Amino acid sequence: MLNYTSPIKELKKYTGLTVGEISPLMKLNLRGKSRDFLTAIGKNINIILPIEANTSSSSENYTAIWLSPDEWMVVSNNIDSKDNNDYEIEELLFNKISKTNLGSVTNVTDQLVMINLSGEKIFDLLSTGCPFDFNDFKSKKGSSTQTLLAQIDVIIHHNKINSVNLFVRRSFSEHLMSWINDSASRL
Amino acid sequence: MFLINCPYCGERDQSEFIAGGEAHIERPKQPTELSDDEWAEYLFMRKNIKGIQFERWNHAHGCRKWFNMIRDTSNDEIKLIYKMGEKPPKG
Amino acid sequence: MSQNLRVKSSNFIDETSRISFKFNGKTYYGFKGDTLASALLANNVHLVGRSFKYHRPRGIMTSGSEEPNAIVQVGNDKAITEPNVRATEVEIYNGLEAKSQNCWPSVNFDIGGINNFLSPLLPAGFYYKTFMWPASFWEKYEIAIRHSAGLGRSPTKPDTDIYEHRYIHCDVLVIGAGISGIMAAKSAAQNNLNTLLLDEKNELGGTTIYQNSDNFKIDNKISSEWLNDEIEELKKLDNLEIKTRTSVAAYHGYNYLLARENLTDHQSKDEKVNKVRQRLLKIRAKKVIIATGSLERPLVFNNNDRPGIMLSSAVKKYADYYGVICGKKNIFFTNNDTAYESAISLYKKGINVHCVIDIRENSNSSIVKEAQDLGIKIYWSHTVVDTHGYKKLKQISIMELSKDGQSFANSNKTVLDCDCLGIAGGWTPAVHLFTQSGGKLKFREKDQVFIPNIYPSKQISIGSCNGDFELDEIIKNTSDTLKDFLEIDNSDYDNLTVKTTKETSKKNIWLLPSDKFIGKTKPFVDYQNDATAKDIKLALREGFRSIEHVKRYTTTGMGTDQGKLGNMHALGIIADTTGVKMGEVGTTTFRPPYTPLTFGTIVGRNVGEYFDIFRRTPMNDWHINNNAEFENVGQWKRAWYYPRGNESMHEAVQRESKATRESAGILDASTLGKIDIQGSDASEFLNRVYTNAWSKLGIGKCRYGLMLNEDGMVYDDGVTTRLGENHYIMTTTTGGAANVMSKLEDYLQTEWPELDVYLTSVTDHFATATIGGPNSKKILNKLIPNLDLSDENFPHMSFKKVKIGKINCRIMRISFTGELSYEINVQANYGKSLWEQCIDAGKEFNITPYGTETMHLLRAEKGFIIVGQDTDGTMTPIDLQMDWVVSKKKYDFIGKRSLYRSDTMREDRKQMVGLLTDDSNTILEEGAQIVSEFNQNPVQMLGHVTSSYFSPNLNKSIALAVVKGGKDMMGKKLFIPMEDKTINVTVVDPVFLDKENKRLNA
Repeated sequence: MLNYTSPIKELKKYTGLTVGEISPLMKLNLRGKSRDFLTAIGKNINIILPIEANTSSSSENYTAIWLSPDEWMVVSNNIDSKDNNDYEIEELLFNKISKTNLGSVTNVTDQLVMINLSGEKIFDLLSTGCPFDFNDFKSKKGSSTQTLLAQIDVIIHHNKINSVNLFVRRSFSEHLMSWINDSASRL
Repeated sequence: MFLINCPYCGERDQSEFIAGGEAHIERPKQPTELSDDEWAEYLFMRKNIKGIQFERWNHAHGCRKWFNMIRDTSNDEIKLIYKMGEKPPKG
Repeated sequence: MSQNLRVKSSNFIDETSRISFKFNGKTYYGFKGDTLASALLANNVHLVGRSFKYHRPRGIMTSGSEEPNAIVQVGNDKAITEPNVRATEVEIYNGLEAKSQNCWPSVNFDIGGINNFLSPLLPAGFYYKTFMWPASFWEKYEIAIRHSAGLGRSPTKPDTDIYEHRYIHCDVLVIGAGISGIMAAKSAAQNNLNTLLLDEKNELGGTTIYQNSDNFKIDNKISSEWLNDEIEELKKLDNLEIKTRTSVAAYHGYNYLLARENLTDHQSKDEKVNKVRQRLLKIRAKKVIIATGSLERPLVFNNNDRPGIMLSSAVKKYADYYGVICGKKNIFFTNNDTAYESAISLYKKGINVHCVIDIRENSNSSIVKEAQDLGIKIYWSHTVVDTHGYKKLKQISIMELSKDGQSFANSNKTVLDCDCLGIAGGWTPAVHLFTQSGGKLKFREKDQVFIPNIYPSKQISIGSCNGDFELDEIIKNTSDTLKDFLEIDNSDYDNLTVKTTKETSKKNIWLLPSDKFIGKTKPFVDYQNDATAKDIKLALREGFRSIEHVKRYTTTGMGTDQGKLGNMHALGIIADTTGVKMGEVGTTTFRPPYTPLTFGTIVGRNVGEYFDIFRRTPMNDWHINNNAEFENVGQWKRAWYYPRGNESMHEAVQRESKATRESAGILDASTLGKIDIQGSDASEFLNRVYTNAWSKLGIGKCRYGLMLNEDGMVYDDGVTTRLGENHYIMTTTTGGAANVMSKLEDYLQTEWPELDVYLTSVTDHFATATIGGPNSKKILNKLIPNLDLSDENFPHMSFKKVKIGKINCRIMRISFTGELSYEINVQANYGKSLWEQCIDAGKEFNITPYGTETMHLLRAEKGFIIVGQDTDGTMTPIDLQMDWVVSKKKYDFIGKRSLYRSDTMREDRKQMVGLLTDDSNTILEEGAQIVSEFNQNPVQMLGHVTSSYFSPNLNKSIALAVVKGGKDMMGKKLFIPMEDKTINVTVVDPVFLDKENKRLNA
């Protein structure tokens, strides 16, 4: 039996900001260009992949984030089990999409760490290290972007009011978290 | 620091992009048919002009898509951005 | 003796809050709201520094960031002191300590002052001319010159303050909160534009906020009152952010600006603990409104630099704003009406104004009339020809000008007592930021100013930085410009009644005449760098013409103030002397920063652990707990070796290497790049990117691949596994991962869009533990008992998908060490546990964790290359003797054509070989040069050592090297010259161990 160890251990609270990792969450990277690809995704997991740049869509169980004109990330809305890493929809979609050459389905569950930032100071924190203009992003629930935070690639998803999810490659996550804690301590 | 209008993601800071050299240099379809000089022309020769330059850029820290940019290198004005595969405008 | 020279209370100074500070070791008192300059003046301290070259006594000249003289060292701890701070910008706080710069032993008695008497010997270009010969003496001159160069002292220890960066995106950025800036910010914010207003001062309102004269009224209110009301209303607006003490340093293209926000410099030591000192604002604005105002010009005349000679506007500000009297016998010297505003303001406060000296013949403007009515004496058509007093101004001499202003009407000289001379030479619009942004200026002949002409981005200049100097002009033009620029219909400022005085006569003389020969005078143009008008004339006589050359030769405008005061005079003198029109001389380039920035601000939080980014593997904690030393590989922190007890690196690596070959070792290989490839053209894609063929690779099998650049040089390598019909996983080198991914995407998007292939990076998704050595099979068997590890079921270069417990794993039987070896890949969050279980299972076999150094040694024994160590972007696969991996049949792959270029086919290219030292204990240095004979001049370098180790398994030193024509040199003796000896080596095959690959199946 293999034990589960996520890279970020603590939930940190600051004035106006709480920072912590949420895991395990299944994450799938989906790529495809054709209409059939989009239809197959919709049919099989009941979610419409967003076509508009910098947006996301959600169903009860999953959230789909636009990454590029032919790339999306689907994330579980609910915590998955640590005891096994068989994800039902991974196999389903791999069979329906990849094996039929409609596109690609790749498990990136542990490729990306999801850090949740909540509180009214989120964008003050982000402004200390992110060149992205959050003025429109702030006002739209579900908006998403890929950009740099402290020079590290991140995907930022505005999942609800005063809350964003930050996706970062696992190997960078400790450094980024340390940077966030440092910056947040001065908010 | 440019503000670059990625054709897919919209206006973003230059730090999200990497520059990829001159645009519209197509890889020869049949390299083995080429003389050393012809191959060298493809491999090494690039323009470096003061003025209008056709360039390739990649939104490396965003959607990772490549696109074309027409830029005036004398004042850094971006004249036009268009997708990969699209033809440059005439004139 | 310190005195307190204060007039009646000022709105901006809190006289109830007394502040004590030290200057040059002496304690003084000032009030909250004072700058160091105003507090010193209030204590009758004018002498604050010595000039750069002649060490002349200098006093406070201005009241703002343009200050050239009053530059001080702040802080008494030489470890963390700050040099070159303008006293006019330092807000005093309890405990402030500052001292004069560029003087020794003290500002009052300065040895360097002797330079002033030597000054005839120190003209422009003195150092260039004098120390040229003999050239060999430069080293000796340099010591002396360096000692006398520079202004303040650098701190000796790292900066302890905290700095931060912040990105701001706004619709409208307004720079400068004077009257026009306030109008702009209010107009923008009222019209729902997200607005940012910045000002370098601590208060809003610019100069108008202390303009309490009946001569200037807006809407029937005194202009300062009117502006105060505007500011109150402005502060109520929602979508407006105001930042004071914030100076815009740079204006780049695409409306990207950098500003320094000063947060704690005005606070006492206790107040600023743990606070961010300064913040670098990185501003991206849709529209920029520059309202930076204008700088008053000095006048250039003989000895115009004595302490007590100040800008007339500064004298006014010290009186009106700080309530400080700069002198008891005040005289103003002017070429325009500004000085009269100052004179009247002082007069009305009961401060003595002896007279005004005006170079104009007359003026009938209302403000001049008012001065006359008050009984202030005016000397028309007069100029100051000299000043007297060494450490403080005592007297001035004046003479009447001739009609043309170039000489004198008569030889009468009048000497006047004076301890403060307010000079007023007109106004220069602060166009620095505008020109930094790429804007083009035009010259306005009427009042001799450069003003914005062509805007390179969405920006506008308003107020006096746009050349509008009179109040009615400012209000009318600002209002009109704003409506147009912000696209708004109505403005609060449409029909305001404005009362102002109008200047009716103008006269400007860039270099005022002296009764002495110019060579005997000191008319300073650049106070900070001690450049005089005579230096400029000398430069012109010596043939310099371009303003940029004259600037560098005379150092005019090259101080920390970048010549904010004197640059225009330099241009004027050049124009007058050479007979060229001023507009044609052009200006020097204004470069960022507008005012100096500390390095701390530029660096922000990118210091210490945040200096560079690091990446960690899932097993990192285990490595730390087990005493690993780490090595940086790209951004990764990789375990380098695991010393036990007092082991040296060499000892640890020898032990790890031996243990692996003898029984089992384990390596954290999680850092290798991993790319998931799917799509119906995946095989074809691999055929095109790798040098070898991929179509026939069976599902579940692995293959080594070599990737070239189009120039034929080796770019990356790694093992790719076929997971399914159209599904592969590619591994890349650790350092090359991001570049390979980007390069492959580039080809797919631009050259081969027809290929149905998708790439996804999964580098971080997997943790990889590599177990290798003769006992690795037994260990794996303990870990996964139900997996058939027989060579038939699981041969070398094949792959299995299995479960450890309920966790899915991928195992590749591949080897970079030459040993029987398994690479176990598991989802990253199970990686640490996998590693620990491998260690547990391997205990009975003495499984030994090894780091990158041992990995390098083991592969070198096998002659396997490391891209980036044994290659350097100039090696083809043929050079590396890796012809076996280059397909002859494939029609094309990246770089193929280049392998047949005449250059890549040369026989004498550097080729990969092995080297053995004659003395098997001598370890070669990586990078050492290789030669074949010494009887050449110069000796021909044949190549260099790329990898070198002592192999514990072969018990001898081994090395890989690249040598010209090395392929045909097997057995040849070569030499490696080192500093103290020459090492003899023999060229051998690069595979040192197990050429038959028996160990793979041991």
